[in-house]
Amino acid sequence: MSTLFAPPGTEWTSVSPRLTSARRVALVLGLTPLAAGLALLVVLAPFLPRWVYAVALGAVVAFLVFWWFWIAVLVRRWRYAERDEDLYVRNGALFRTLVAVPYGRMQYVDVSSGPVDRHFGIATISLHTAAPGTSAVIPGLPADEAARLRDRLTELGGAQGSGL
Amino acid sequence: MDPGPEIDSGPGADPPTAPAPPPQDFRRVSPLTPVVRGFVFLAAALFATWRDALRGDFGYLAIGFGIALLVGVAYGAASWALTRYRIGAEELRVDTGVINRQSRRIRIDRIQGVDVVQPFVARLFRLAELRIDTAGGDREGSLAYLPLREAEAVRRTLLARRRAADSTPPGSAPGTAPADVPEPTAQPEQLLVRVPLGRLMLSAALSTETVFVVLGASFVLGAFLATGQWWAITGVGPAVGALVLVLANRVSGNYRFTVAGTESGLQVRRGLFDLTTQTLNLRRVQGVVLTEPWLWRWLGWARLDVSVAGNPGQLTGNAESSPTTLHPVGPRAEVLWLARTVLGGLDLEQVPLRPAPPAARWLAPLQGRWLAVGADPALVVSRHGLLTRSHHVAPQRRVQSVRITQGPLQRRLGLGTVQIDSPPGPVSVRALHRLAPDARSFVGYEIAAARHARGRGAPTDGVHKVGP
Repeated sequence: MSTLFAPPGTEWTSVSPRLTSARRVALVLGLTPLAAGLALLVVLAPFLPRWVYAVALGAVVAFLVFWWFWIAVLVRRWRYAERDEDLYVRNGALFRTLVAVPYGRMQYVDVSSGPVDRHFGIATISLHTAAPGTSAVIPGLPADEAARLRDRLTELGGAQGSGL
Repeated sequence: MDPGPEIDSGPGADPPTAPAPPPQDFRRVSPLTPVVRGFVFLAAALFATWRDALRGDFGYLAIGFGIALLVGVAYGAASWALTRYRIGAEELRVDTGVINRQSRRIRIDRIQGVDVVQPFVARLFRLAELRIDTAGGDREGSLAYLPLREAEAVRRTLLARRRAADSTPPGSAPGTAPADVPEPTAQPEQLLVRVPLGRLMLSAALSTETVFVVLGASFVLGAFLATGQWWAITGVGPAVGALVLVLANRVSGNYRFTVAGTESGLQVRRGLFDLTTQTLNLRRVQGVVLTEPWLWRWLGWARLDVSVAGNPGQLTGNAESSPTTLHPVGPRAEVLWLARTVLGGLDLEQVPLRPAPPAARWLAPLQGRWLAVGADPALVVSRHGLLTRSHHVAPQRRVQSVRITQGPLQRRLGLGTVQIDSPPGPVSVRALHRLAPDARSFVGYEIAAARHARGRGAPTDGVHKVGP
């Protein structure tokens, strides 16, 4: 990690490794119907030669395999730091981002959790300020940690609030 | 944090304030309102049927229109009869709706601005619409249509009560505000900016589109004159016509553009067909953009746009005559002076800009030479653009959050981009393609300066320089 994204004196917290599993499950669930359909086409081979469908199926499988490993990289890099006056969120491997959101600028905090996430007991927290560009999203927080962080952020937002 | 929604709808949404102010009488909007709203339909119906009607020959079309007209008149009359408004000491109440009744209450202390808008048809009848802007975003209140004088009077009353509400300390008992604030006389306005028509037309003509159309047209003309095919000249017509339409649209939107200083902020008036009056509360300014298109630079002209909190719904549309424009075209010194006024006396020219490193030109070959950024304890400024040069300026106390981003190519070159997040609007201050140590120290400076400007943390001294 280059020093650009690691200010000195900052303690980073990783998101839960269960996020990797959740994202992998979602990936497989999302791609299975497509892969099954293509597999059927490979067997039946209507309209087009069989190898066309085989190549398409191969591409889907390659995509799946790539993302299977890439998800682990992305999840490992997704970190956040609670500082005295602001929250840092850092993510991305190829395209990296670090956002610093002052607690006093927060308009509201969202906690969301889809069915797959719930199965793995994790939730996503997103912070919103008056600027739409602020994209401070922390996925893969264990449910109790998400609740703690939400309460803490709301409390700090109220204490340091300056809105617009 | 925002304590709650500004507009309460429906009965039972009355705030539990103790003694209700003595209710003022409800008033109705202009009886001509349905005519203005249905004017396009009426005109179309008349246009489609007047010949038949004059001959006494009522075809199916006319009968159909007649039925629709009857229904429309009945609905319009009902809608007029059921639309009424009341200005109380604490809220503006607007009841509307024929089938779905709606009672919208707008708290007066939440009113951010009141605009008087005159669409073209309404102007024919000397009517105007009041748009009441609250900090809540796109759920703005609207009152249409009132006679122009009444609209102006309501606007002044609302703004006066807003000021009265502002000056009442928040802890004092509600309902003690005078129930009927005497309507203030029109305050003397101080005219700050007036854009002459000649300058407006010349500035519209000096656009990149004009250059392209003129170049293309002269190429076509030259080619066909050389080959002697005279008839082909007609092909140039549509392009020139379209250009004239676009330019005329720009001029009409900003026709008789004036900015005046009033007690409630800067008042912007503009428009040839659709007359608009907007009031800009200076406390809501989130930043400005100074734009200098390349053809204007020869004349030393510039344009000023502002980001204003709270009306993202209005910020779309034609940038040349959009509600964000505070000065469509003027000498650079005049535009800078207006920018200083809007920014509370801060001068964007005082902030020393530091250009982007030579490596940035790999990623931004055209504008690379002009990219620059600078920050001092009060302002953060970035410069962009090769042809259309622009300065994006945000006061430090309006900075929402700070972001660093880095793509794979930037990583190769050791660069990073720092983005200063502002509320929605034209302003987007960003330090594109800075060397990593510079980006690091810039982010650190920005976080500290914005924190101090919010009233927390230690002051930052001096302008931003690359740290050790």
